[in-house]
Amino acid sequence: MPSRPKPPPESELEESFLKGSGPGGQKINKTNSAVQLKHLPTNIVIKCQATRSRSQNRKIARDILAERLDELYNGTQSRTAVVGSVKKKRADSAAKKARRKHRKLAEEKAKAAGVTGTTPTTEEVQEDEEDDEEWEVVDEEYHEEELEETERQVNKSDTVIVHGLGEAPVNESTSVKSNCNGIVLKELPVDKQAAVENTQPAQGNP
Amino acid sequence: MPRLPPSLFWKARQQISPFAPILLPVCRTLDSAANELRWIKQHVNSTSSLVPRKLRIWQACLKRERGMPLQYILGTQPFGPLEILCRPGVLIPRLETESIIYHLSSLIPRPSPQAPPLKILDLCTGTGCIPLLLSSLLFPARTQITGVDISPSAISLSRQNLTHTISLRHLSPSASKSINFTQADIFDLKFLPSLGYKPSELDILVSNPPYISHHGFNTTTERSVRLYEPRLALVPQIHPTSHYNCEPEDIFYAHLLEIVRTLQPKRVLFEVGDLDQAARVVAMVVRGKGFLERYARNVEVWRDEPGVGLEGKAEKMWVGGNVEVEVKGQGRGRGVYFWRE
Repeated sequence: MPSRPKPPPESELEESFLKGSGPGGQKINKTNSAVQLKHLPTNIVIKCQATRSRSQNRKIARDILAERLDELYNGTQSRTAVVGSVKKKRADSAAKKARRKHRKLAEEKAKAAGVTGTTPTTEEVQEDEEDDEEWEVVDEEYHEEELEETERQVNKSDTVIVHGLGEAPVNESTSVKSNCNGIVLKELPVDKQAAVENTQPAQGNP
Repeated sequence: MPRLPPSLFWKARQQISPFAPILLPVCRTLDSAANELRWIKQHVNSTSSLVPRKLRIWQACLKRERGMPLQYILGTQPFGPLEILCRPGVLIPRLETESIIYHLSSLIPRPSPQAPPLKILDLCTGTGCIPLLLSSLLFPARTQITGVDISPSAISLSRQNLTHTISLRHLSPSASKSINFTQADIFDLKFLPSLGYKPSELDILVSNPPYISHHGFNTTTERSVRLYEPRLALVPQIHPTSHYNCEPEDIFYAHLLEIVRTLQPKRVLFEVGDLDQAARVVAMVVRGKGFLERYARNVEVWRDEPGVGLEGKAEKMWVGGNVEVEVKGQGRGRGVYFWRE
């Protein structure tokens, strides 16, 4: 499993804290501590309001940016892709085992009822067993990953991508979902859009 | 404040939750209502009670709709890496305060291991957030910090915050020895000798005193602040012994400069309400007689984000017609910083 990608150096970042109108200071007790992080070389903008703490939001924004850049530059080698494939393997393995189990049950039923049917050849059974060993290794890695993920679930959730051509503010009617955890990702430049168009769906963990 | 369109309430109900619409009048936007509801839910989920969950969420939303600050409902406010306990009767830590304290700490050079701990005094400490944050940034072992407030409730909360911060491991246990809080009326200068500082011994004097004018309180102060936070922490009261010739809302600064004259700290940072007030405070420093003359040439005004530069262009401000001071950063006028050689 590739390690979590590191955020880019501060020199490539432009950070701004979205402040409201009004005098600020003692006259207002803000609950808004949104952080807007812009990656200058790629023009990716991340707006994060996941927590009430500005320091935490700054950290989360950087982590998300690091993941995004990892996917952008590494594609299938990126951590997200690898984790995705591990998860898929596991799901496939579970499905396979379930199929095998039901096949067995159906056969036993058929035997009990005295009906003969097709049985898997020795070859097929051997292949299944070899595959199982492979999946055992994958399962270990996946388990570690799962433990980490549950820790991070608190911070990350639905990342909404808004395809925009400029610095337009997020359209409230499209971005706000009932389980949105306050992270908005904006893709800005037209030339990069093609490269990232085929990425995540509008909902779901990256 | 412009009226919210009815469609926004409908959207809140549809897109966020049936609880969201009652937060809208206070939160003003869907994003903000969604965020506050999420935090309320997180708080309810993480604390146990005999009251059913949905009812607790509803009760919290009702309180918020009436204008109660979210920080009093949830009981905490993040401040830097810390979690500061909040309760009615004590001013809630502000984001702007956090910002200028971070910048102040970035200016302190790393002390050598043999150097004595930095002595820091925070006046009008409230929740104690400034001493706790400075200790966290400059380390409990390298600092000796005292927080003073007139309100016994604030001092009690500050001490609770010290324990709470240590229990969350945001500060090492040694902080309980290097941070202390004491109750006193700073307008009664008799409290100064009891602090035990020798002249010029104090490294940093910091204060976020009440600075809102009566008019400002009634017109430009947010409703939830006006109705729920302690006025004692926001608007200076006319003190019977005060004889300063200044605007009523600047009275704390005039008195703090007397304290500066006595203690002669190396660095001083005051939080202010706006650029105009900053200019008035700068004028007081620059025109001050006696020991204050040591600071007259080293005065800066800070904006909300003092560390954010404006592409090499230094912003200057004229004070009193003949004094020029640098204004650092972006945002509104937020701090006055001065130091002596």
